[in-house]
Amino acid sequence: MNKPLPIHIKKGLDVKLDGLAELQTLEFPAAPFHYIRPSDFRWLTPRLLVAENDPVEVGTPLFADKQDERVVVVSPVRGCVRQIVRGAKRAILALVIESETNAAPFRVVDVPMPSNSQDARTLMMQYGLWPMLRQRPFSVIPNPDAQPKAVFIPCFDSAPLAPDYNQLMEGKEVFFQNGLKIIRMAAGNAPLHLCVREGADNSLFERCEDVQLHYFQGPHPAGNVGTQIHYIDPIAKGETVWFADPQDVALIGRFFAVHELSFEKMVALTGPAATTTGYFTASYGADLTKLFKQEWGREELRIISGNVLTGAKMEDFPTVRFYDRQVTILREGGQREWLGWLLPGFRKWSFSHTFLAWLFPRKSFAHNTSLHGGRRTFMMTDVYDKVFPFDIIPLSLLKACYIKDLEQMVALGIYEVDDEDFALCEVVCPSKMECQQIVRDALYELKMNS
Amino acid sequence: MRKFNALFDAIDSFLRTPATVTATGSHIRDCVDMKRIMITVMIALCPALFFGWWNVGYQHFTVVGGMGCAISFWPCFWYGFLKWLPLVIVTYVSGLAVEVLFAQWRGHEVAEGFFVTGFIIPMIMPPDVPLWIVAVATAFAVLFGKEVFGGTGYNFLNPALLARAFVFFAYPSVISGDKVWISGGNDAVTGATPLGLVMNGHTEALPSTWELFVGTIPGCIGETCKIAILIGASILIFTQVADWRIILSVLVGGYATALLCHVSGLCPVPGYQQILMGGFLFGAVFMATDPVTAAHTRVGKYIFGLLVGILAIIIRVLNKGYPEGMMLAILLMNIFAPLIDYCVVQANIRRREKRYSQLKTTRR
Repeated sequence: MNKPLPIHIKKGLDVKLDGLAELQTLEFPAAPFHYIRPSDFRWLTPRLLVAENDPVEVGTPLFADKQDERVVVVSPVRGCVRQIVRGAKRAILALVIESETNAAPFRVVDVPMPSNSQDARTLMMQYGLWPMLRQRPFSVIPNPDAQPKAVFIPCFDSAPLAPDYNQLMEGKEVFFQNGLKIIRMAAGNAPLHLCVREGADNSLFERCEDVQLHYFQGPHPAGNVGTQIHYIDPIAKGETVWFADPQDVALIGRFFAVHELSFEKMVALTGPAATTTGYFTASYGADLTKLFKQEWGREELRIISGNVLTGAKMEDFPTVRFYDRQVTILREGGQREWLGWLLPGFRKWSFSHTFLAWLFPRKSFAHNTSLHGGRRTFMMTDVYDKVFPFDIIPLSLLKACYIKDLEQMVALGIYEVDDEDFALCEVVCPSKMECQQIVRDALYELKMNS
Repeated sequence: MRKFNALFDAIDSFLRTPATVTATGSHIRDCVDMKRIMITVMIALCPALFFGWWNVGYQHFTVVGGMGCAISFWPCFWYGFLKWLPLVIVTYVSGLAVEVLFAQWRGHEVAEGFFVTGFIIPMIMPPDVPLWIVAVATAFAVLFGKEVFGGTGYNFLNPALLARAFVFFAYPSVISGDKVWISGGNDAVTGATPLGLVMNGHTEALPSTWELFVGTIPGCIGETCKIAILIGASILIFTQVADWRIILSVLVGGYATALLCHVSGLCPVPGYQQILMGGFLFGAVFMATDPVTAAHTRVGKYIFGLLVGILAIIIRVLNKGYPEGMMLAILLMNIFAPLIDYCVVQANIRRREKRYSQLKTTRR
């Protein structure tokens, strides 16, 4: 097969950050607790299926989605539901599962090979593998009855300090290929797009059969699934596309190939404030306090599940979220500086060239969580355009989202984007707009009205 | 003390960067904020301002002492500075008073936008303009150009230009004619600007191209030295604070129209001289590029700039009542910028719809 021409993403930005994960495996003993949080799944309203002190196995359903009770989230470990943590209005914040010591991290289930789309979907839902798929628009768990027009597997990550996919996928090739087969079957033979980084070692993905390979080059957000969908097969109103993480595809493949139900993934520990970096294996929700004993609980550090652009701050539960493959440790900011706006700024990182630091492009910068300014209205009208590679006018769409003008949002291309696609706009915005929140709220409004 | 919250916040965040940290979305942010953007624009304005100080004095001493007298540098500079200082103080006091009052009333922070507006207003006024007129014009511009629409970011007219337009229409005698452009001049000596000379048909008295370029001519404080304005332009373009697309397209539109007018015999002045006369270059670099009031879309910026350039020259050449067309051209295009954006956005919507339907057909 001839290699297709790479798709070149011209607009975007690679934020330079210290603390890329070293290619080493970190010792991570079995976690004593797992925190399963419904908030990991966008807009899922949970209906509890277990009670406190119930014993659970790997794959025991913990809660179902109230909108469609066939969709369940299952326990990733064998153990016992120790506590159900509730917040305001009795919303479920987390299920605390105490893991059984020395229990195998997987369960053997005698499951038949599915023969058609419905079979595959039913089995995936039954064993909690269905949430591994997500659907665009909205990045939610797909509707079990809908037919996607395509399936996308983003096989590289371009976010700051992104993990190396060859490291994540080591030893999972056969499972990955089997997972692709199952997903293709579940998706009713919709085309399967694998998006890889031009110039990287993609041999693992190039060996897959019956897939369409696409090569991307350029800065972040080249690795975002939204960007890839936009360049390959954009979503119009009424269409849906599925996407999944390659490690999740491998877990699905492993289940159907060797009948082992497991939720263990490799996760990268990264960040400028991490004492050690590397890769470790954990199930989603695993209590990571043993891993960063030195960092957890220190007020001057922020531990993020995910990357610095789209991740979530871990406050009560030191875990990795369901869809994340990276943990980042950053230093908290907020230090006040005298006449900060007036100084030459040799050490200040900025996408604009207003600080003299841009004359020394190779220098690495001490990023922290400071907002570096006050919130203003949209003023620098061209700054979003420079980091937003879609054929969509970001400022117009953001303004439509801001005032929740649904018709205009749809016309301007809201179905093609997700909040993570606006992360870079948010980073470079001198008015300190909460772009991701604006888009997320608008998407919610749209979903509720559609 | 709560009544003065807005003022305290403004002073506090002026002195020290705010302590806020990211709460939702991206955990790291760019170090740039609106204060930094505004200070960069002010730095870019400084070369033109410094030359303006000197030139105000130079023009004054030339008229008072007569041509050919020895004029030293520092007295000129000092004279111009003293002329400018009360102007800028009055502008800031009157404008910031309105700004702070509204910020307090609406309960938001004082936006930095006025720092640039207040810096530009004295630069686009004649040196001897009465201070009370400047105060009234500034308050009018901030109030009706900005605050009634919701404050900085919601305005559709450039406030500094609005202040100038206010003076131009309300008190025309202090900002037009031959007598106002030289500080301390007397009735016996006229100090017509090059544009005034062209309007009255005295093209033979026009300064040389070199003088137009260097700026040793009568005019507003900040607009005469084209070298200083070009230095400012390069600062704005290198720091990416101003969009080069607008500057380039204003120049292209203006030059093409001026050339056409010259070739067709409508105007005796060559095209390149039109660009160097009056506030054309100053407007192109510092006024048309205002990101809030210019077109917001990338293609829109080219159209906006071209039309500003074309209109400015057309007003200059065809309308004998208004020798300086740049101010009116920019204000007019400020009004049309949302329409330009609307057209560009609609084109984008249609293009994407076409792409969706093409993809659907190929899939079938």
